[in-house]
Amino acid sequence: MPFGGQERIWHRGVAALLAVVLVLIALLAIGVGPVPIPFSEIVRSALHLPGGMGSQDAIVVWQLRVPRVVLAALIGAALATSGAVYQTVFRNPLADPYLLGTAAGAGLGATAAMVMGHSGFSGQLPLFAFCGGVLAVIATFTFAGGVHADPRSLLLAGIAVSAFATSVQTYLQQRNSDVLRPVYSWILGELTTADWNTVRWAAAYIALAIAVMLTIARRLDALMLSDEEAYSLGVTPRRLRFIAVAAATLATATAVSASGLIGFVGIIVPHLVRGVTKRATNRALLSIALAGAAFLVLADMGARTLLSPAEMPIGVLTAFIGAPFFAVVMRVRGVHR
Amino acid sequence: MIRLSHVGARLGEREILTDISLEVATGGWLCLVGPNGAGKTTLLRALLGMLPYSGSITIDGVERHGDADRNVAFVPQRPETPAGMTVHEYVALGRAKREGWGRETARGRAAVREALERLMLMGLRNQFVTHLSGGEFQRVLIARAIAQEPDLVLLDEPTSALDLHHQVAALDEIEALRSTGATIVSTMHDITLATMYADRFALLRHGRLLLDDVPRNAVRAPQFTTMFDDRVRVLTLDEGFPIVLPTRDRPMP
Repeated sequence: MPFGGQERIWHRGVAALLAVVLVLIALLAIGVGPVPIPFSEIVRSALHLPGGMGSQDAIVVWQLRVPRVVLAALIGAALATSGAVYQTVFRNPLADPYLLGTAAGAGLGATAAMVMGHSGFSGQLPLFAFCGGVLAVIATFTFAGGVHADPRSLLLAGIAVSAFATSVQTYLQQRNSDVLRPVYSWILGELTTADWNTVRWAAAYIALAIAVMLTIARRLDALMLSDEEAYSLGVTPRRLRFIAVAAATLATATAVSASGLIGFVGIIVPHLVRGVTKRATNRALLSIALAGAAFLVLADMGARTLLSPAEMPIGVLTAFIGAPFFAVVMRVRGVHR
Repeated sequence: MIRLSHVGARLGEREILTDISLEVATGGWLCLVGPNGAGKTTLLRALLGMLPYSGSITIDGVERHGDADRNVAFVPQRPETPAGMTVHEYVALGRAKREGWGRETARGRAAVREALERLMLMGLRNQFVTHLSGGEFQRVLIARAIAQEPDLVLLDEPTSALDLHHQVAALDEIEALRSTGATIVSTMHDITLATMYADRFALLRHGRLLLDDVPRNAVRAPQFTTMFDDRVRVLTLDEGFPIVLPTRDRPMP
């Protein structure tokens, strides 16, 4: 691939292919479920042609399945893109979007919402989870030395904040055993509550975060170098690191508050795309976003059909695939690179 | 002209540089010489503009700190090796300052190709940088600095991992940048090699400037041997070039 041109065409080709795959998987996911709805009927209804769906099927498709598929796509894109950005910023191939305490903070926020459920807060679970996740990341930055903290301090502070938030969460659960089951269910990840309202607010935050990450994607090359080299190439590394982490945290916190904790997407997808494109993850960010969306729509389709009519928590499914993959990554690539 | 006036720098509570004043002519090559911990790398970081310092560092009369527009190339002693990036992509990073991130021009592509050719890296251009030997990667770092077409080049031990042939070849290419008006400031532990390329030596010890002179005079000054605890010998070739060797003889108490 001499001097740029062919490489760009290859990247765009991969992204275009992934966009087509995403659309096909999404259409398949809309048709598949406990109530099978022929694809042809969905298309006819969408085009206002005769022979479309009945009113009940239309409700199932437009009020249940389509928002669920769209939300899965948004969350998959958010988690995969955030994972790739974290891996670049922290120069660690096993960094995931929950690294800086987002997951533990969101878990604590959700538990707090449940514990205060009798005061009417349980309906505000996503808001509490979002605030918990963001507060945990703010605490991580504060302990690590402020917005310009270096990656190693951030990692250590993230571990400490996560441990603290998890211990408080466990204490609250022990004191309020009635919230154990709903919190546990939320922690495993779920898209069952997806509706257009959730899609709207999640889309706004995730679109903003992904737009920022795509805008700075090429500059993230500089964060793979030492800070002195980055500076000599025209980047203020600490400022760029903060913007990247803030955008990735916004996407992750939104995803967590909308669907609970869905693990491993942020690791599996960037590594899969990197395996195909053979490029640094930040150089294939658009492909990673599309692949993350396709992966989670597919995983959600599995979660709601494998044990039909019952549903499997989507986090269980992604972890079932993700844990062995994680082990292979550790084995093959090593944690030191 | 780079002018340092009473420059001091700290890392936390520790004073690393104290009252450094010297000048480097545009297109000149200054080599910072001194034992480990003398403050050489810290002085390079101050010249880069990244490290806060007291006193003044001006380049053509403009204070260096906060002057982000100046095109300064930096070749570190201990670089990071980014995964998933080829030699060509890595060298092309050097164009970011001139052309913007993710942008390519014909001029930039030509500069990258020329840098790869000059450092004998065309055969490795599609290799991942993580797969290179230490010496190959050091040549890639120098190629990136050359592709940057900088005004000022800061080199921290640029040839420590290179064999003799590649040391000279790489330093020749760095020296060629002077013809474009670039000023070079380096650190080099191989002082004999440094005398062949630099036109000024600044001798540093414990963060203080001991001497600033042309290399042939600097290595023969008493401060030079004192700086290394009298455990160096300076020989002279017929052509007058000094050779600096370590000696096993312990100085007399």
